[in-house]
Amino acid sequence: MYTLQILVNGIVLGCLYACIAAGFSLVWGVLNVINLMHGSFIVLGSYLAWGAYNTMGISPWLTVLIAAPLFYAGGYLVQRGLLNRVIAAPVLVTLTLTFGLDLILNNAMILAFRADYRSLILDPPLGTIAMGSVVVPVDRLVAMLFALVLTGVLYLILRRSRVGRAIIAVRLDRDAATLMGVDVKATNAAAFGLGAGMAGCAGVLMALIFPISPLSSTAYLGKAFVVCVLGGLGSVPGAVLGGLLLGLVESFGAMAFGPEHAVTLSFSLLILFLVLRPQGLLGKRGFE
Amino acid sequence: MSQASSIVTVQSRSALWRTLGCGIAMTCALSAGQALAQQTIRFGAPLPLTGALAPEALKQQQGYDLWAEVVNRAGGIDVGGKKMKVEIIYTDYQSNTPRAVQAAEKLISQEKVDFLFSPFGSGAAKAASTVSERYGVPTIASTASSSQVYDQGYKFLFGTFTPNETLTSPLTDIVRKAAPNVKRVAILARNDLFPLAIAQEMEKSAKSRGLELVLFEKYAINTMDHSSALAQIKAAKPDWIFATGYINDLVLLKKQMGDQRIEAPVVTMIAGPAYQEFIDAAGAGAENISSAAWWHPASQYNGTDVFGTTANYVKLFSEKYKSVPDYAQASASVSGALFQIAIEKAGSLDKAKVRDAMAAMDVVTFWGPVRFGANGQINSLEPPVFQIQGGKAVVVFPAAIKQGDFKLGVK
Repeated sequence: MYTLQILVNGIVLGCLYACIAAGFSLVWGVLNVINLMHGSFIVLGSYLAWGAYNTMGISPWLTVLIAAPLFYAGGYLVQRGLLNRVIAAPVLVTLTLTFGLDLILNNAMILAFRADYRSLILDPPLGTIAMGSVVVPVDRLVAMLFALVLTGVLYLILRRSRVGRAIIAVRLDRDAATLMGVDVKATNAAAFGLGAGMAGCAGVLMALIFPISPLSSTAYLGKAFVVCVLGGLGSVPGAVLGGLLLGLVESFGAMAFGPEHAVTLSFSLLILFLVLRPQGLLGKRGFE
Repeated sequence: MSQASSIVTVQSRSALWRTLGCGIAMTCALSAGQALAQQTIRFGAPLPLTGALAPEALKQQQGYDLWAEVVNRAGGIDVGGKKMKVEIIYTDYQSNTPRAVQAAEKLISQEKVDFLFSPFGSGAAKAASTVSERYGVPTIASTASSSQVYDQGYKFLFGTFTPNETLTSPLTDIVRKAAPNVKRVAILARNDLFPLAIAQEMEKSAKSRGLELVLFEKYAINTMDHSSALAQIKAAKPDWIFATGYINDLVLLKKQMGDQRIEAPVVTMIAGPAYQEFIDAAGAGAENISSAAWWHPASQYNGTDVFGTTANYVKLFSEKYKSVPDYAQASASVSGALFQIAIEKAGSLDKAKVRDAMAAMDVVTFWGPVRFGANGQINSLEPPVFQIQGGKAVVVFPAAIKQGDFKLGVK
């Protein structure tokens, strides 16, 4: 029947959700900062892709490579300049600060780009692939692959690079890290920069799949929240698993209970996890 | 000493005259100022200028502003022999319906507006109408079509959109005539007041004409992925897919329909295809999508309102905004024009008199013939059905303004 199609849809969607959430999970789990600007970063990345393609003909696959350092730099500056002043304060303080910054960013985008929805339409279109009875759009498939590669790169950075190990060290024990010669301020900024970079790249990929508007930022943020709770904070494999779980639950839930309940279902799952397993599927303190 | 005292007396006397003179001048200025303030007619317009419905608010604002500009350029509205200019006071309710009600209350009680334009959409219009009814302020809803909005027995609420079934019935008849083989209908509706209401009307229209309803599903507001719903639709093999929502939902739906290679002889979407933004965003996939709306710039009405003919309205709009108006802007402009006709007929700004003049309205405007039913909703329009052909909206009904024939096949 069409169960196989729904399964494939769920997996592809899940990987996209993982990409949306990976940066958010990193910043929350490692810096203890709930970055409410995450959704707006994603939308900004989408606009970058749209602008680059429609004015200069740059393919979105290339724009991903441009977005990564651009958003990293932006995130680094925001953290170093603003968030670092309240990094030691309770999490609600940073949440309020990022909320305020998000209001500024989001409304600036509405002013600059207007709130109408735009689409990034590739010319020529990538089309669809049929594998038996299952049809998969190529743009979603390639976006899914890019998303997996990006999360893989993030994982490797955190595990293998000096910056990555420093980030984890600061989270595990800030004072010990300082004693080891780690520059805490720079490391925090790097972590936030990585999160922002991921968001920007995710935005470029999302531009191909969803309509672009500053009004979508809350939708992306909502998904990121749910994926973080499901998968566990600060864990990149957790983000992937959480994303897949969410994607599959929404797809099969829509089939079983009707599409109007898909969103309710995902948030019911969120509540269930918060009650039964608040650390999520793979969550650990700091990083594994 | 006596000289000094006489100087003081003279000075204090002239000071007294000075004070009196200032006082008289101030009173004159104040009353003149108040009289000046009464030179403009104040219209309140609560709009979702920020938030999810911001694109809709922009269209309404364009419509209201164009009307205000045109009417003020002609000197203003004739109120019992005296010409008074028009002033529109906007308030942003951030796409939040409870705030829309508060905004309406503030405009009426604090800003002291004479008349009110409803907030956007059936839901918010219904909610805010309670406020205007309580204060007895004539209100026109320029974007509320669901008859549920007008079922509270209110006397001060009027609407420029005809009920939803006036969109679905002619459409169903056209499809039956153009494609007698179309038998199976699938409906996917956004779980929101207007999109759901019009989907339910479509269900009734389809069933009453003997079509088979193979699927009726709703999707939640802010759904980012329709794959499952569309997979179900594909499995049901419909001949006619009817999807409702707002522009962002429908653009995403059409794209995902293409992603899953869903094709059907007839695909209808309400309410997005009327907007040029939909055609641009949907690209080649928009070809042969049909829709219905309450007005189309190709209409040819000869109105007695301040805009005159439909062509003249389109010309004035295009000159000001460098784009062709769609039904949203036109509805906003005609709401203003209808207030003008009612005020001029009543000869005063008395709210009860203007209300009665509105209820007895029977005119032809650039929007079409306007007569209101007992519940305040317009019942005299013949909404056009159109189809996107070659990247443009082509009217296929009514015959008087037909531009092309209905085509089958949507990929």
